[in-house]
Amino acid sequence: MKHLLNLIDGDKDIGRGNKFWAGFFLVLICFFLYPTFVSSFRASNTAFYLLNIPMGFGLCLIWGYCGILSFGHVAYYGLAGYAYGIIAGNLLGNSWGPILGVLGGLVVCTIISGIFGYFVFYSRIQKWIIPILTLVFTLLLETFFVQTSGYQWRVGRVLLGGFNGMTNIPFFQIGTFEFEGYSFYYYCLVIVLVLFFGLRILVNSKFGQIVIGIREDELRTEMLGYDIRFLQCVTFIISANLAGISGLLYVQWGNYITPSQMGILQAALPVIWCAVGGRNSFIAVIFATIVLNWLSFTLSSQGNQYALVIIGTLLVITMVFFPRGIVVMIFEKMQKIR
Amino acid sequence: MSMLTDSNQIIISTHNLNKKFGGIVAAKDVNLSVNTGEFRCLIGPNGAGKSTLFSLLCGIERADSGEIRILNKEVTKLKPFQRIKLGLGLKFQTNRAFQSLSIKDNLSISNNKIQVMDNEIAEERYQLALSEFKLKSEGAKLARELPHNMLQWLEITMILASFPKIVLLDEPTAGMSVEETLFTGSVLKRLNATGLTIIVVEHDMQFVKDVANKITVFHEGEIFYEGTAEEVSNSEEVKNIYLGRD
Repeated sequence: MKHLLNLIDGDKDIGRGNKFWAGFFLVLICFFLYPTFVSSFRASNTAFYLLNIPMGFGLCLIWGYCGILSFGHVAYYGLAGYAYGIIAGNLLGNSWGPILGVLGGLVVCTIISGIFGYFVFYSRIQKWIIPILTLVFTLLLETFFVQTSGYQWRVGRVLLGGFNGMTNIPFFQIGTFEFEGYSFYYYCLVIVLVLFFGLRILVNSKFGQIVIGIREDELRTEMLGYDIRFLQCVTFIISANLAGISGLLYVQWGNYITPSQMGILQAALPVIWCAVGGRNSFIAVIFATIVLNWLSFTLSSQGNQYALVIIGTLLVITMVFFPRGIVVMIFEKMQKIR
Repeated sequence: MSMLTDSNQIIISTHNLNKKFGGIVAAKDVNLSVNTGEFRCLIGPNGAGKSTLFSLLCGIERADSGEIRILNKEVTKLKPFQRIKLGLGLKFQTNRAFQSLSIKDNLSISNNKIQVMDNEIAEERYQLALSEFKLKSEGAKLARELPHNMLQWLEITMILASFPKIVLLDEPTAGMSVEETLFTGSVLKRLNATGLTIIVVEHDMQFVKDVANKITVFHEGEIFYEGTAEEVSNSEEVKNIYLGRD
């Protein structure tokens, strides 16, 4: 237990020590109390910001910690969403349907990312090509799902739905309890928390250290006797599953998914969240994901057409003035002053 | 020396190893064999194929033809990390400690315990390097904040942290002062005395004469001469290739 706490408090992410954790739990209490002050609708909207965080985590792990930029993590977001829709949709009425759907979604993510990762990492292609390959892969998936309109594109009784996407995807449920509104908000919050602590343990463990070694110098790490290709592949699969978790939460939240979730606009978003917050800090990614999603949601719901332009400008500002991410660099400044 | 002659067993060897980079011959019919516990130095003019030989041994480069054996096992087709796991440790020619990580992280990443047997003696060697090179007290420092000699020592210690049986050091004293070079030599000799096999590529002849059991001279990808320090320094032919009087 003490060992685990030490790993959570390890130095591979910003934020350590009693003061930080006191602040962390204070904020956490606010998050837990938040639904008591707002309507179910508002809580559900905020849950949308939370449900994107796992995908941010996934990119943070593979890009920030392992040094491999994936520009197509939304592929796994979409695949998990569609897989859940197909499985849970076909088992409609069966209370085990959604749970099997979740498992199915993650299995699909693991298999596809495993195959993709195998070819990418074991063929020893150069690192800068990986963002392009991942982007092409997600665009291919988008193109494929766009053309799946019509009655012939169905799995069991679920229609893939082409450009308009898959609709009537069931809520997540355990037994007879369905997660929506307030309960969905808590469900997301708990998942984000569990993943946050799990990932802090992971990056501070031996595995995480080796992964950081691979980021710093692949050949040096390999020459210490590590099978770096296997480790890169495993990290890629973990991070794809994190994106998959976001995809599952998304379809459970909105009950639909369209191919544009795997499109180029969506593909850019997690990269922006990580870059703006700071790509090698999970806490920074939480921060950036919530704020940026809130920003674009608020701007676009007020009829502002410039949401993406504003987010893009923010990205440029970050890259010029805060190359390691706004949250991370502010945090480092604060520590220096102290 | 008595310990060495007892264990007159070949630990690493190559048989007719060949490697060409385009028209440049980096290794030509190289037959090298090093005994367990030996301290071998490889010397030769720049471009003679010494570093390439290390790359071939570790599998960073694939040989065009020939055979490599480590601990009596044919490894020519093994991947780099599989060869390392047999008990190899490589220090690169250009220092490759993880610059932006702390010394503590550098060492704990390296602590791979590749060698399953003789853990005690391997741990002893690692602790010896750790205390002699004074790295323990500097744990929180980032590697890039270290002076060059400390960086070289860090990479040597990192290799020992992985518990190897054979260490390949490519210019371990490059960029060091005379005293630091001598000190490095004395530590390496103490490590060698515990039975660790050490192969070093080095230009500093004083260092080589000081530490080597046997010297192998490379020239244009071939083994040109092999002998004790005394034999090598008395050889007219070796002088000729170094001074370009071919």
